[in-house]
Amino acid sequence: MNKILMLIVVLFPIFSGVLIPMLPFRGRRAMCIFIEGCALAESALVFFLLQNPPAETLTVFRFTGNLSITFRVDGMGALFAGMASFLWPLALLYSFEYMKHEHSEKSFFLFYLITYGITLGIALAENILTMYFFFEMLSMATLPLIMHTRTREAFLASRSYLYYMLGGAAFAFIGMIFILTYGTTSSFVPGGVLDTVKIGDKGNLLLLVYVLCFCGFSVKTAVFPFSSWLPKAGVAPTPVTALLHAVAVVNTGAFAAMRVTYYSFGTDLLRGTWAQNVVMALVVITIVYGCSRALKETHLKRRLAWSTVSNLSYILFGVVIMTPLGLVGGMSHMLFHSFMKICSFFCAGAVIYKTGRNYVYELDGLGRKMPKVFVTFTVSSLALMGVPGLCGFVSKWNLCRAAVDSENPLAYAGVAALMVSALLTAIYMLTMMIRAFFPGRDFDYGKLSEAKDPNWLMLLPLAVFVAVMFCFGLRSGPVIRFLQEITGVVRF
Amino acid sequence: MNPWILLSVALPSVAGILLLAVSFGEYIRGSEKAFTRGVQVYTAAALALSASVSLYTAWQGEKECSLFEWLDGILVYFRIDALGRLMVTAVSIAWLLIGFYSLAYMGHEGKETRYFGFYLLLYGILTGLSFSGNLVTMYFFYELMTLVSMPLVLHSGSREAVMAALKYLFYSMCGAYCGLFGMVFLYRYCHTLDFTAGGALNLAAVQGHEGILLTAVFVMILGFGAKAGMLPLHSWLPAAHPVAPSPASALLSGTIVKFGALAVIRTVYYVVGPGFLRGTWVQYVWMVLALLTVFMGSLLAYREPVLKKRLAYSTVSQVSYILFGISLLVPDAVEGALLHMVVHAFVKCGLFLTAGVFIYRFGYTRVDRLGGLGRKMPVTLWCYTVFALALTGIPPTGGFVSKWYLAEGALQSGIPVFSWLGPVVLLVSALLTAGYLFPVTIKGFFPGEEKDPGNGAKEEPSPLMLIPLMVLAALALLLGIMPNPLIRYISQITLEVFS
Repeated sequence: MNKILMLIVVLFPIFSGVLIPMLPFRGRRAMCIFIEGCALAESALVFFLLQNPPAETLTVFRFTGNLSITFRVDGMGALFAGMASFLWPLALLYSFEYMKHEHSEKSFFLFYLITYGITLGIALAENILTMYFFFEMLSMATLPLIMHTRTREAFLASRSYLYYMLGGAAFAFIGMIFILTYGTTSSFVPGGVLDTVKIGDKGNLLLLVYVLCFCGFSVKTAVFPFSSWLPKAGVAPTPVTALLHAVAVVNTGAFAAMRVTYYSFGTDLLRGTWAQNVVMALVVITIVYGCSRALKETHLKRRLAWSTVSNLSYILFGVVIMTPLGLVGGMSHMLFHSFMKICSFFCAGAVIYKTGRNYVYELDGLGRKMPKVFVTFTVSSLALMGVPGLCGFVSKWNLCRAAVDSENPLAYAGVAALMVSALLTAIYMLTMMIRAFFPGRDFDYGKLSEAKDPNWLMLLPLAVFVAVMFCFGLRSGPVIRFLQEITGVVRF
Repeated sequence: MNPWILLSVALPSVAGILLLAVSFGEYIRGSEKAFTRGVQVYTAAALALSASVSLYTAWQGEKECSLFEWLDGILVYFRIDALGRLMVTAVSIAWLLIGFYSLAYMGHEGKETRYFGFYLLLYGILTGLSFSGNLVTMYFFYELMTLVSMPLVLHSGSREAVMAALKYLFYSMCGAYCGLFGMVFLYRYCHTLDFTAGGALNLAAVQGHEGILLTAVFVMILGFGAKAGMLPLHSWLPAAHPVAPSPASALLSGTIVKFGALAVIRTVYYVVGPGFLRGTWVQYVWMVLALLTVFMGSLLAYREPVLKKRLAYSTVSQVSYILFGISLLVPDAVEGALLHMVVHAFVKCGLFLTAGVFIYRFGYTRVDRLGGLGRKMPVTLWCYTVFALALTGIPPTGGFVSKWYLAEGALQSGIPVFSWLGPVVLLVSALLTAGYLFPVTIKGFFPGEEKDPGNGAKEEPSPLMLIPLMVLAALALLLGIMPNPLIRYISQITLEVFS
């Protein structure tokens, strides 16, 4: 029974999404209730599944030989699936309010739900083919969401998105072929599947393939120099930018990078090689590059998008340290960053929704008019900066600790990059908050009379995120131990 | 688990947060109410109560209290030791005096509810910082200290104040991140991050990694030095002090910058251990930076016409006396540094509060406007003179004793060049100090002919402002006349860390 459940959780949101345009809803309210109901049911199913993980795998479809679409629940997948199913219903709640002032809601919610199913497909993928399959599907399913506003800018953004994703997938494909050729199996096995006998003297070739494959998957994670699609994709409605382009889609890139590094190529082969140095250098550059671009950017959502670029590379930095601790750090940042960044995007979205202001310099004085939103925004900024007591500090600490423990000089540079990035984050986030709360002594609040806090649909998710950030920040022990259990099974 | 420690941190914090909630409510409604008598009494009572709880807790003896596992293997941990007790005592005295002064002073700045909210909260945080038992807990309070003291700087809300506050914030953050950078390395190479007198370096693990560890410690010293105004991250001080309300400048200069020095002491003497740094490049670069800061700060103060900015540069210079003392890594110098920490805390508070009186009464900010005040406010000006004497280091004030120990420590250290260069720089800087502080006294009492002596009416400030000044002046004298109890107490600390 449990086995079948894995297929159900992947297909259920896809089907319920497809139903949205077909069902004759009486009014918008009914549609919203239906969608939220589906999402909640789905999340309940996922959490039930994670509580009772099936021992065996489920092969849905077999192409030939060991090429099959197969599902399985393992620790890392469980983390990713749990994260997605916690965030999706909350993001939907927010979208119901936000999408009021956008058109063609039905197609929006259709793809929003489909993406949910596909993301779970990636989380539960048992082998590299399944993951690749859903990875491609995810690129396709999110394309209409970027195009949603139908403006010229949106078309250009979606075109650039498409090119980057297809290119990335092509490189990932090369990696997949090599793993299938030189591996003992296509499944994800902790510690890697490569067969040393088959590799023979082709070690360097495989390292090159690893770099290509890592970059291919990391295009979704917007690693330098493949990062420009992410800020452009900010033209999409905020729920898309917040959930997909700060959390779900981009994290699948990091998730895939974790899978290929730790479960396919194996860190034994990679650690200490030039391949590790190359990818780590890319990641460290991205950490600083993203932040610097964020500092320069005056468009609110694009600034947050650049900040995402930098923070995603924190996760990848953990991954490329290639030690269990590094993986713990990477995964903890994946988890915590999701909450911090979705929270700040939702705050930005609330400002855009309520006032129509899109630029940083237009935020003056809004702190008084939208106190709840801006207090939340401040908390998420502090978390992103890594102020102790909030969750960002915990993951940063774990990442730095792992880097220092690895005794790799490049990783030391990475620690320095993390600190520089934290300082830049402080600058680009807090200048916005200061603007909002302290616009200057003779600021005329009359101009802002129409601005006020949004309703509970938008505030409830924000409140939940703030609570989560504090909980994880003050009491990270259980989460980190869970992550250590996951990584404990990885052979090193 | 000791409830007193928690109480001494929580009580002022909660009292402050309550005030802040009230003030935030008013801010949202857009109707800042006047500071009522009820709130005034509440503030005074909360302040007095928290100070007595903190002092009682501090002088109970060695107590410790661990809360919960915060990070993997690291607890939120408090422990009261001799150094923490010293800090809490100094801070509590300063806080009480500045607090009562503020009750009178802040009337002309407005938004008192918000000010006192942050004021009380900050007191709780500094208590927590002093009582912290490990580096990570200390870091937690250290960052909070920056965040909570920032609103005090931008109190007036003017554009200039906001920019200065941001500068303060980013310099401090930069410093804190440098500190964090080093902390991660210390976590790897020390047995524990709990403060252990004399350090807890894991020598076996360090083997072969001395270079990176020294770099990490150096980055930490630079970072925490930012708060203490050490080169190259000093320039937030002269920006932040003139725009902040005077009592806020007093507590920045008097107390908060000392916590930068405290963090350095904790790192060097309680985690790494002085033995590891002695004779390394870190020590030399550190000494050079500290001495440069001492000299440069005095020089800049000497040619600065705005009184509060002059005092800010003076802080830059004087706090680096402390850092220089610490950098020598010998008992006498550390003793001098700690003494100077206490003396400078009181004296600099006093100086800023006096500057505040001038602003409050006459709106004078520049030194050249301050002629002829001796007739109008003799008591204030006499207090100022005592502070000036103490800061210059003229007996019988506290400054003389601390500088004596610093110079003696430098001479005894036997470090080539620095053992004589240090005292020389200190001496030159003392001359400059006299040069930038005494003009106010001299012009005040002997304005010359061109100044209008006024009609001879006294214009002393209200007792609420005057009494803190007199108490601080008395303390500055007392520390010079009877320094022995304090010296004995401090020598316990040095004995501990150098054993």
